[in-house]
Amino acid sequence: MANFNIDADKNLTYDAIVIGSGISGGWAAKELCEAGLKTLVLERGRIVEHVVDYPTMTLDPWEHDLRGGLTPEQKAKHPKGGRSGFIGAMNEHFHANDLENPYTEVKPFMWVRAHQMGGRSLLWGKQTYRWSDLDFEANAKDGHGVDWPIRYKDLAPWYTHVEKFAGISGEALGLPQLPDSHFLPPMELNCVEKHVKERIEKDFKGRNMIIGRVAHLTEPLKGRGKCQYRNRCDRGCPYGAYFSSNAVTLPAANATGNLTIRPFSIVQSVVYDEQKGKASGVRIIDAETSEEIVYKAKIVFVNASTLSTTQILLNSTSNRFPNGLGNDSGELGHNLMDHTYRVGAMGTVEGFEDQYYKGRRPNGIYIPRYVNLKDGPQSDKFVRGFGFQGGGGRSGWGAGSNQEAFGGDFKDRLMKPGPWEFFITGFSECLPYHENQVYLNKDVLDKWGQPTLSIDAEWKANELALNDQARQDAKEMLERAGLKDIMEFDNKHEMGFGIHEMGTARMGRDPKTSVLNGTNQVHGCANVFVTDGACMTSSSCVNPSLTYMALTARAANHAVSELKKQNL
Amino acid sequence: MNRRDALKKSALALGAAAGAPTLLSLLQACAKTDRLTWTPVFLSEDQASFISSFVDFLLPKTETPGGLDVKTDVFIDLMYAKTYDEAGQNQVVADIEKFNADCKAKFGNVFAELSPEDKAACFKEHEANSPKFPKTVWGGAVGPREPVGFYRSLKSTALWAYFSSEEIGKNLLSYDPIPGEYRGCMPLSEVGNTWSL
Repeated sequence: MANFNIDADKNLTYDAIVIGSGISGGWAAKELCEAGLKTLVLERGRIVEHVVDYPTMTLDPWEHDLRGGLTPEQKAKHPKGGRSGFIGAMNEHFHANDLENPYTEVKPFMWVRAHQMGGRSLLWGKQTYRWSDLDFEANAKDGHGVDWPIRYKDLAPWYTHVEKFAGISGEALGLPQLPDSHFLPPMELNCVEKHVKERIEKDFKGRNMIIGRVAHLTEPLKGRGKCQYRNRCDRGCPYGAYFSSNAVTLPAANATGNLTIRPFSIVQSVVYDEQKGKASGVRIIDAETSEEIVYKAKIVFVNASTLSTTQILLNSTSNRFPNGLGNDSGELGHNLMDHTYRVGAMGTVEGFEDQYYKGRRPNGIYIPRYVNLKDGPQSDKFVRGFGFQGGGGRSGWGAGSNQEAFGGDFKDRLMKPGPWEFFITGFSECLPYHENQVYLNKDVLDKWGQPTLSIDAEWKANELALNDQARQDAKEMLERAGLKDIMEFDNKHEMGFGIHEMGTARMGRDPKTSVLNGTNQVHGCANVFVTDGACMTSSSCVNPSLTYMALTARAANHAVSELKKQNL
Repeated sequence: MNRRDALKKSALALGAAAGAPTLLSLLQACAKTDRLTWTPVFLSEDQASFISSFVDFLLPKTETPGGLDVKTDVFIDLMYAKTYDEAGQNQVVADIEKFNADCKAKFGNVFAELSPEDKAACFKEHEANSPKFPKTVWGGAVGPREPVGFYRSLKSTALWAYFSSEEIGKNLLSYDPIPGEYRGCMPLSEVGNTWSL
């Protein structure tokens, strides 16, 4: 792949600026560059070139001196993100340094950040599902939050557009609550998953258990290789088999010759031109030299990731917008949402002791939402719903730690796989509450002297009621499927653990109650677009990244069309 | 005084508190240094000797390599040296001293010097009295949990150090770094041992 043009300072004026290079920023860059716009992508971290900058991608445990263990110095950099349990030596270099980038937890909130080119697209779970009108109509129907300014039909062609390029594997089922994508062949369920699926679908009318729909190639696509089932995704994939900005959208943007990407660029604010009534550019601080530079452009896409995007908007004050860009409504920073995490049940499955599998599948099973559907039974305990992720497999030598045994026979038995285990965990929808919010904290500054965020958000009664039901349902399904040693669990993780932050600059129909319009333009500043998780008006119970991609492609194409009409 | 020396001294102090060292045990400690075939980077020779004997009793050589054959003990010492912070290192040293002090009280000697029968009795007692690790989902514990204590923690570390070694991971377990496909159901007999990675 060609090197990226990082010489941004030769030219301070572009057609478009994109802030951030993660999932949504990468899509904005690709769509804008392909439409012929000279586009500057501002990235606060370093350049991470596909393959070249994946130092751990092929390492076996014994090829690392600590076999994946972290030094105390490495651990000390991740007091917040480290709570996720996901940071190890093989991916530590893709996680932001919490000490240089502090934030304040007014209530507990784990904020996982990835400050480099590609952002969290290098680390994400790759579960990719379309949302449906069950989601887009939810606020209007039950009165929580404000109405989405779009419906499924507005987004459907854009889902198809991004899916054809990103590559989504899955099985078409025609479920109204989980519309089918443009699919590559699905991954396979293993013996035990097939068994549990049959039992659940037989015993519970209206429930389905499917293989996860994922942004992993199961066939080669546009020069990218298919998944090799190594399950080392979070180190970067040498085959480009999973969707990341680094492997997919940024190389496409680069191929147009219209892309410049500037690393080490910490965006301080979007610059608002009071005369023209629109944004004129973006002010950055060079992370290495602390030099301040202003870049100019006709349009600005803010895709810094949900909370960082809102942080930038809050910090972008002017006479017109004294409380932050686009904050006429007072809703900027509010209505923060996430999905619940680690609530469900697990157990063992007997009868498949002579069966095994091959490959480390970076995917599991999915049970789509079945409660409070349009035509189904309605709960009187909660609104909205939940879906489940999970999977089955055989335990390995790690199970030996708990066995009351030792010695030669014990050691040799551990060479063979242990019992089959199966688990499911619920992901519950979170309602948009005005009081779940972030705001600028000028008492705590980051390494570059910029105000940081305070996060003040918590689950409320509806989310807790959804979780209770998800846990009970999980246990009931596993019982009816014949599992043994069933254990239900609810870790009651704080918000942030879902790593699905959404809201804080929501789309809406009314500028008095929302920050963005139906094409993701900032109310009152039409040449600024927000298309990452910040724009979300509700949270669904379904993983959001595919929707960010579709919203971004739709907004970028709208921006190009408006530019051509000279409306921006 | 560097950190390692300080730790050794504090370990000695802890040992003294738990059961005053006799001249005999000091002589035994001297004798044992001859048998340690590797140079620890963090542990004292006595502590390293404990780890080696623990590993050897947990994972003895059979038709397959034993824990010592693949330097499980050497790696555990390296882990303590490189991945534990100072508080964690102090705790390990205290735990080893306590383990040995308990052995002395019950069996009359430190673990490394016990007969196989006494070692087995010691392990059995720890197995019965050590809480179990919780189940995990996506790398995080779920369900009820309580500290597993030093014995089970060291057992777990030793299993990891053994099974993640190149010899076991590549040559004993079923090693397939690039499977290339996912087959959801196949006879275990076609694979043999547990997948390594």
